[in-house]
Amino acid sequence: MRDLLALKESFTEQGILISFNGAFTHSIIEEMGNAIKRYLEGENLGRGAIMDVFAVYIEQTQNVRNYLNRLSFDQPQRNTAIVVIGNVDGAYVVSSGNTIARADVQDLTRRLTEINALDKDGLKKLYKETLRKPRESDAKGAGIGLIDIARRARLPLAWSFREIDQDFSFFSLMVTVMGEDK
Amino acid sequence: MIDIKATSTSPRIAYRTEDRTLEIIGESYPENSFEFFAPLFSWLDARLKDPAPLKVEIDISYMNSSSTKCVLDLLDMLEEAHGGGREVSVSWFYDDGNDRALDLAEEFKEDVKLPFSIIPRTSGTDI
Repeated sequence: MRDLLALKESFTEQGILISFNGAFTHSIIEEMGNAIKRYLEGENLGRGAIMDVFAVYIEQTQNVRNYLNRLSFDQPQRNTAIVVIGNVDGAYVVSSGNTIARADVQDLTRRLTEINALDKDGLKKLYKETLRKPRESDAKGAGIGLIDIARRARLPLAWSFREIDQDFSFFSLMVTVMGEDK
Repeated sequence: MIDIKATSTSPRIAYRTEDRTLEIIGESYPENSFEFFAPLFSWLDARLKDPAPLKVEIDISYMNSSSTKCVLDLLDMLEEAHGGGREVSVSWFYDDGNDRALDLAEEFKEDVKLPFSIIPRTSGTDI
């Protein structure tokens, strides 16, 4: 790379404010989260809006980290993850991308589609039902992260899968969160 | 006794014997919520065998979804004790500049019959 101008221009064009590409450790998630919080506090946002962006960031990055930690060690793609926070037309967009086993694509698609079909009350009901379910023994989370994200999002969840090889795909999740002062 | 110090991603959890109050204060998005809250559950299980009244003050400005699950489990334990005739109550503090925090408090309150007060707290600098 000769210089960073092209990268900077691309970030500016897409409204990208903060991005991290690498292994999501707890301390990286925490430090980036603090930076995001401080940045948003300087943007004259309502506290509810700051919390929504922060919470969506935490749920996305912790989901990715928990998922990649469950993939086995002989899969080198397990560390491939990226998170991007951008401001597009006044709304904050939190996006994450990670490798996913192709065997998991169908189930994740089903869950995302189910969540997107629900209105505010439907999401609340599903959220409460999921909180009440016994946790899976190998899961660090309660499987409620995506529902929490959808409850805080202003637009339906947007996602894509891109095939990497016969075993893996790349999963991208884009979440648009309220930007204006509430 | 339980006395867990706060970190930037986990709340302080402590019991004050003088007024029989368990306090949980801070933000909660630890690396592993279930591991983090496990000592609280063991302590509470033992404490609820004691018939003395118990007050619980919860002042968590942000909790991630797995912490929310743990807090619900905590409320379930308290609710069961309340159903069994124990004198238990919850005071839930929320940031009065944050409507979402009030919604969350009310969602927790909906699920329990034990005395549950929702108390506004003036905004600080942390969320």
